[in-house]
Parts: sequence; C-alpha cells; structure tokens
Amino acid sequence: MYRIIITLLCLTVTAQLPVMAREEVRARAVIDRMEQLYRGDSSDATITMEVHTPQYRRMLKMSAQSLGKELAFFRILSPKKDRGVTTLKRDEEMWNYFPKINKVIKVPPSMMMGAWMGSDFTNDDLVKETQLIDAYHLSMTEDESKYYVTLTPKEQTVTVWGKIDYVISREPMLPLTQSYFDEDGEKIRELTFMEPKEYDGKLMPSILEMTPLNKEGHRTRIIYDAIDFNVPDITEQTFSMRNLKARF
Amino acid sequence: MLTWRIAFRNILRQKRRSLLTGLSITGGYMLFVFSYSLTEGSYGNLIDIFTLDNTGHIQIHKDDYLDKPKIYKSIRARARVEEALDSHPRIINYTPRVYSPALAYGTEKTAPARVIGVDMEREPMVSRLKEKVSAGTYFSPEPDTDGYFQAMIGRGLAISLKLEVGDEIVLISQGADGSIANDIYIISALIGNRTSFDRMAVYLPLPAAQMFLTLGDDVHEYALLVDNRRRNLQVAQDLSAALPDLTISPWQEVEATFYQTMQSDKQGGYAMMVLIVFMVFIGVLNTVLMSVLERTREFGVLRAIGARPGSLIRMITLETTMLASISLALGFVLVIPIVYWLTRIGFLIPEPIDMNGIEFQHMKGEFSVRVFLYPMLFILATAIVISIPPGIRAARILPKAALGAH
Repeated sequence: MYRIIITLLCLTVTAQLPVMAREEVRARAVIDRMEQLYRGDSSDATITMEVHTPQYRRMLKMSAQSLGKELAFFRILSPKKDRGVTTLKRDEEMWNYFPKINKVIKVPPSMMMGAWMGSDFTNDDLVKETQLIDAYHLSMTEDESKYYVTLTPKEQTVTVWGKIDYVISREPMLPLTQSYFDEDGEKIRELTFMEPKEYDGKLMPSILEMTPLNKEGHRTRIIYDAIDFNVPDITEQTFSMRNLKARF
Repeated sequence: MLTWRIAFRNILRQKRRSLLTGLSITGGYMLFVFSYSLTEGSYGNLIDIFTLDNTGHIQIHKDDYLDKPKIYKSIRARARVEEALDSHPRIINYTPRVYSPALAYGTEKTAPARVIGVDMEREPMVSRLKEKVSAGTYFSPEPDTDGYFQAMIGRGLAISLKLEVGDEIVLISQGADGSIANDIYIISALIGNRTSFDRMAVYLPLPAAQMFLTLGDDVHEYALLVDNRRRNLQVAQDLSAALPDLTISPWQEVEATFYQTMQSDKQGGYAMMVLIVFMVFIGVLNTVLMSVLERTREFGVLRAIGARPGSLIRMITLETTMLASISLALGFVLVIPIVYWLTRIGFLIPEPIDMNGIEFQHMKGEFSVRVFLYPMLFILATAIVISIPPGIRAARILPKAALGAH
C-alpha cells in the first residue's frame, strides 16, 4: 500500500513537471531576450531623464554603463548643480557618490524603494530590474502579436510587488509595457516602452516612461540618446569604488 | 440730591458695620485685581517670550504648510508680499525663512537636523537669534574664499556630532526639484543650549539655504511683529484681505496647543475670581438685608408720608453702590503700588524658565487700564444687582404693619 502511494505520487509529479517547465522555459527565453536588449554583454549609453511632477520639471543628462547583469554605473552630466553625482550598482548593493561633499553613501536596504535621483524609478528598479528571471515565477500566454508574461515573486524574494504583467510584442520582439501590482492586486504603476529606434545595429525602444498611478501628475521618462554595446573599454574596473569617486 | 444725602447719611449711621463691609469689598477688589494682573501678566510674558523668541506675532505660509510642511509649498512673488507688509502701518518688522529636514554629517557620526534659512539682517529684528549665539560669532552672508557658506548650529547637534566652531558640517537633503541637496558649511557659531527647541537646527544664510534646496527666490515662511501684540488678529485679517492666496496665521493658530491651554487656564482663573467676588457679596447682601430689616419702621414712615416704592429701591441701591464706590476708590489707591511692584519686579521664580538660552526669572503682572477697570465694573454691577432684592423688600413694606413692628 505504502509503495503504491509513493509510486503514484512520483508519477503525478513527473507527469506534470515537463508541462510546467516547458512553459516556464519559454517565458524565461522571452524575458531573457528582453533583459539582454538594453544590456548586451556590456553597454555604454547616454541618457536623458525627464521628471514631471505637479510642482516641478527636471531634466538630467547622464552616462550609464553596464557589464553583465550585476554591474551598472550612472553619472550625472547636467545640470551643473548635480554634475558628477554618481551611482554604482554591484550585485544587489548600491552606492551614491556626491562630489561636492566628497562622500560615498551606501543606499541602505530600507531606502531601496525610495526614489532614485528624485524620479519615479526606485533604487530597487536599478538594482533588481535585472534579476527578474531569478526572483520571479514566470507564466506566459500568447496571441498572434504579443506575449503576456506574468511574473509572481518566489517565496524567498523580498519585494513589494505582488505581480508584474509584462507585455511583449512578437514582431519585432520588443517590450511594450510592464504593469506593477501590489499584494492586493491593485495596479500601482506602469512602465511603457515607446518609439523603437535602431542603436548600434539593434532595434530597441528609445523611450521608457514610468507612470505611478497613485501619484497624480507624476511621470518620469528615460530617453536613450545613444547606446553602444559590447564596448571593450568597459571592464570590472569601471565599476570600482575608485571610479565612483574619480574626477572626470 | 435729597436721595443722595439720605443714602450717604444712612451709610454713616452704622459706621463700624459700613467700614467692615466696605473693607471686605476693598479686599475683594484688590484680590481680584491682583490675580487678574498676575494671570494676564504672566501669560503675556510667556506669549512675549515665544513670539519674540522665534514665532513672531503673525506667520505667513503657502496653503497648509503649517500643518503639512512640504518643501514645494513655498511663497513665490515675494516682492508683492513684502510690499503688503511694508505698507501696513502696524507691522514693525518681518523676516523670511525657509525650512527643510536634513541629514547632518560630522566627522564620523550623522544626525537628523532641521535646516532653517534666515535673512541675516532681518532675522535679529524679529527673533532673538543673535542673542542665542552661545559660542562663536553670528554668521556673515558671504561665502568664504573656498566658496563655503557659514552655518550656525544648535548646541545639541554640535554635541552629538562632536563639532566645534570652525569645523565643517555636511548636509544632505532633498531639493525642491527632487534633486539631492548636498553641501558643506563652515560652523561660525553655536546656538542656545542642549535643551533649546532649536538644539538640532542648522541656521543658514537665506541665499545659501535657497541654493541648497533649489528654491530659487522662494521662501516657506514670513514671521512678523506688530506694534501691539493684542492687535495681531486685526492685522492678520487685514493681511488675509491683502494676500488672499496665502495663509495668514496669528500666533494663536501657530501655537494652537499653547493657546487653547492658556484659554482654559484663564477661564478657570476667572471662575475663581468671580467666586471671590461672590463670597464678598454674600457678606454685603447680608449687611444690606440687615439694614433694611432694622429700618422697617423708618421705611413705613417714609411710605406713609408718600414716598413711592421706586424711590425706596433707588435709595437702597444707591446706598450700596455708594459704599462699593468708596471701597473701590480705596482699593484702587491701595492696589496701584502692589500691581506696580508686581509688574516692575514680580515674584522670583525658584526655577528660572529657560527659553533657548535666555533665562526668565520673574513672574510678572500686567499694569493696564483693563486690569483695574474690569474688576471695578464687575463689582459695581454686582453691588447694584444684589441690592435690588432688599430694595424690593423695603418697597413692599406696608406702612400699617411696619409702624406696628418693633
């Protein structure tokens, strides 16, 4: 009797496994391509960030470098007041450097959901955005023109999102929107990918727009002015504390 | 005139009784004036302490900045505001300020701080900031040769960050445009002591604070002084009409908790004073009733020879009022030097009140017309009111029964 139950259990588990795995693997492949889109092995970009709020409008120009999934580096070029403010992301840690006061400040875990440079993107967006595949369960449906991937956090994942809906167009294969839901299933914010352009031989959306739905009149746009991929100058050294504090 | 003479004669008829009654009224009046003067005076003093120390008599903000301060709720188009303030005859001085929470870095530690940007020239005319400098010198508005502005920090902050005059202090905050405000300042002075309300404050010159917080030329607050503290509500109304888009708050709103506590405490005090007067006048009522009873036959005769009931009532009221007036005159003469002393010197408080480094050692009274006049009017009114029932009693006397009484 005992054996029969075990055998039955084993059978049911193994029978379902491939089905789940196949769907998840496909979803993974799709998401992975999306993640690779902006990154390549390494990337070097010039970005304009526009922050709109009912009180103010702000425009920042910055340079952004990345290497693999884990390393990213941002440096503000203008306006003059903020010039030289630098952000370094290594794995899941993050530091800001302020040249005026010559201080490196580590972003504490409690501040991860705080605004990055006064925008509607959070520090967490910069750090964890690249970890979607590892931290979330994926499920996918598709129709003729789009993939609909639903990401739900794994049990051990520390996140405030209850669910992320990721919509991707099939042809060309480009991201369209990401909708972020809280644990009560309420939509909190939406990231829209717009105006695909060809950069360095690669087609990708040139504008990312983040709209928080709980803050009326707030909106942040990131515009890619230029991006190069697989730049040999970008090495591990780019993402060092030394470079964080370097004059430029 | 005849009634006056009779009334006066009646008071003198029982000299000892009139004297005692009169003295109790005098005593009641003096007690009333004394405690009234002390209540008004000590609260007035307290109000002066914090309005002149920092709050000002009236504050101006944008929208609900007072309740929910947000860095972007700032007063724009300042020229128009200052024009309105300059043109009001009752406003003596005003000063603009900006505020923001910040994180302060010392050599090794950090602490939360409150950045207060003040106009160097105007601030000392409205608040006691300059007197509160307890080490170093009041800051200067110009940055030094390296481009660093000066700052004055609260002593509490200096202690927890282990900073001294001449050291650098690093501030990080959020600018009005969402940017991260960060800069270094040189400490020129320490402010107050470690219990002051601004012990964690960092005072910056206004232009430096505006630059730090990316506020342009905006400010968060105007604090102003008027020529007479008690007229500030009127001035606030005038300003509300002149500047309809801004929120004008008299100190009664800015320090609402204090104001409400004060009001209820004062009311308790008034109730006590009324109780004193009430007790004095129970005695007076007794005296008047006695004198009416004593004079039953006399009133009977008056009625019999044709005095009207009304004139009897008037006579008795006049007697009481006259007695009260004489007593009040005496009380007034006696209480003036006491209140004068109370106002000039006052009680020594065993534990001096320390307001941000400025000590207040005396509890003082108020010397003003109202302090003497209101108790006087209240006692006179009471005298008239309580003399009416005995008067009616006298008026109701039937000559026949009265003449037969003993």
